[in-house]
Amino acid sequence: MTAKPRIVIVGGGPAGRAALAALPGAVQIARPEATAWHAEPGRLWVEGDGQVWAEPFDALLVCADEPLLLAALGCAIRDGRVVADADGRTSLPGVSVAGRVAGAADSQEAERQATIAACALAAGPLDTDAPGIPPAETAPVLRLDPVDIAALLEQPAGPERDRAALAQRAILGAVVPVRPVSLAALASLVAAMPEAVPPQTDTGALA
Amino acid sequence: MTDPDILIVGGGLHGLSAALHLARAGRRVRVLEARQVGAQASGYSAGGVRTLGRHPAEVPLALEAIERWHDIAKLVGDDCGFRPVGQVRVAETEAELAQLAKRVERLRAAGWTHEALADAETVRRLLPAVAPHVVGGIVARRDGFASPLRTTRAFGRAAMAAGATVIEGAHVASVERRAGLWRLRTDGGETHAAPRLLNAAGAWGGRIARAAGESIPLGFNAFQMLLTDALPPLLTPVVGAAGRPLSFKQSDSGHVMIGGGHKGQADLDTGEIRLDVPRLAYSARTALDLFPALRGARIVHAWAGIEGVTPDELPVIGRSAVADGLVHAFGFSGHGFALAPIVGAVVASLLLDGPEAHALAAFAPDRFTLGGPAPETRSALLQPAG
Repeated sequence: MTAKPRIVIVGGGPAGRAALAALPGAVQIARPEATAWHAEPGRLWVEGDGQVWAEPFDALLVCADEPLLLAALGCAIRDGRVVADADGRTSLPGVSVAGRVAGAADSQEAERQATIAACALAAGPLDTDAPGIPPAETAPVLRLDPVDIAALLEQPAGPERDRAALAQRAILGAVVPVRPVSLAALASLVAAMPEAVPPQTDTGALA
Repeated sequence: MTDPDILIVGGGLHGLSAALHLARAGRRVRVLEARQVGAQASGYSAGGVRTLGRHPAEVPLALEAIERWHDIAKLVGDDCGFRPVGQVRVAETEAELAQLAKRVERLRAAGWTHEALADAETVRRLLPAVAPHVVGGIVARRDGFASPLRTTRAFGRAAMAAGATVIEGAHVASVERRAGLWRLRTDGGETHAAPRLLNAAGAWGGRIARAAGESIPLGFNAFQMLLTDALPPLLTPVVGAAGRPLSFKQSDSGHVMIGGGHKGQADLDTGEIRLDVPRLAYSARTALDLFPALRGARIVHAWAGIEGVTPDELPVIGRSAVADGLVHAFGFSGHGFALAPIVGAVVASLLLDGPEAHALAAFAPDRFTLGGPAPETRSALLQPAG
């Protein structure tokens, strides 16, 4: 028997609610109770109720306007927006979008997108790579100092801030965290010093 | 472009410092940087300017470097955000304090007085927000911190003003020595040649060395850093801990930087980095244990830079043991930022066939294959990254 895929929905607005209706049994992460602040392949990092935890997923449907979260996963971005096909599939298999982050102009459009994306996600991955999705943009920008990036990320989320942060991705990799996270909540994640790990080894050659 | 006298691989702080010193000595210098100036460890470090807690072999360099930091604007035309606020290493137990006291004694026996033992009251005077369990520490009052990226760019500007050329996006794909010249080909197809070569390629320094025919063991780490939101003034000196990795300071803007050595995962081929959240969490926990006033802070940025690490955690600085005209300066193992003003001068002297004005045996490129690494293979204290 194949285990049922674990689907996580991010967002509690019209798109998030429509997605949950179409995907009963999915886990919903919605502010203000729970905030997704970082994502890695197969794992969403969440803060809520004074704690930080990892929410594992097989499939992820992002219905909140969180392009930095999708960028952290490695989804393709173009002109500051996440690239997705008509069913909401991003360049990353198992990660889909709906709502404002996918370009919806109003709540009706967001709900419609969410229902389509949820059904497509439930149907499983496409046999072929998602068509027509270009690689992540690599705009040649000048790196910001980490303190300047911190100041940028302290600004309220919005298209302008997100575009500036996304432009750093080409140099920095993932911008972390995508939303501020409580230091105390993060600190509560571990009780003891993690075991020391040796340096990574390199036997590579110039290429 | 006129053919250079010296090629430098790596547009980080050490490569640019060398470029500055060489250009001011009248040499034609070309720096090849794979990405952007300061794109890796130089721009991502914690910016600690530290003599405190150094391995004995590094102390003379660190002491000479700190003098240069206090006049850094004269050297590069920018104060680099240097704040001589001192550094404090706190002890959380009596056993740690005894270890620190022994270190200070050993340093004094060697004639070094830059580190001073501090009792709990002194530490609390320096760090009013420190946790009550701290029992004392050691202090280096002339230490401080600077802005890493600003510093790296300042060295780059000064080098270029002195006549050096810096080419960004020049990823070196092959290295060979032919007819008395080092010939470097980039993946864009350009070839650069010069009689002398400085390998300042950071975590990629081992690859450059191997391509030049010299095997020098070099691993790498992605040292992780955190920044809180802007907070009211909490502390002035840079703080480390005797018993766990920590580098902790507050910038002029109020953001508190937390680093020290917990690692993520990096890929040298792609330059990609993956942060390790539980290890980030432990950095946060250490900071919170030592500064309970951080309880309400929020983390607004976390990142890591890739740093080359040698088996003895001492840098590789010196002439190649196998190839003519090649000097290495890499593998600073997470604590090279503060040394850059002096290391640039040292390697410039080596490239100009000058005398070794500093004892470099502990940093020799061939130390791992000849007599083995420096006798004291571990630093007396934890070396917080940055």
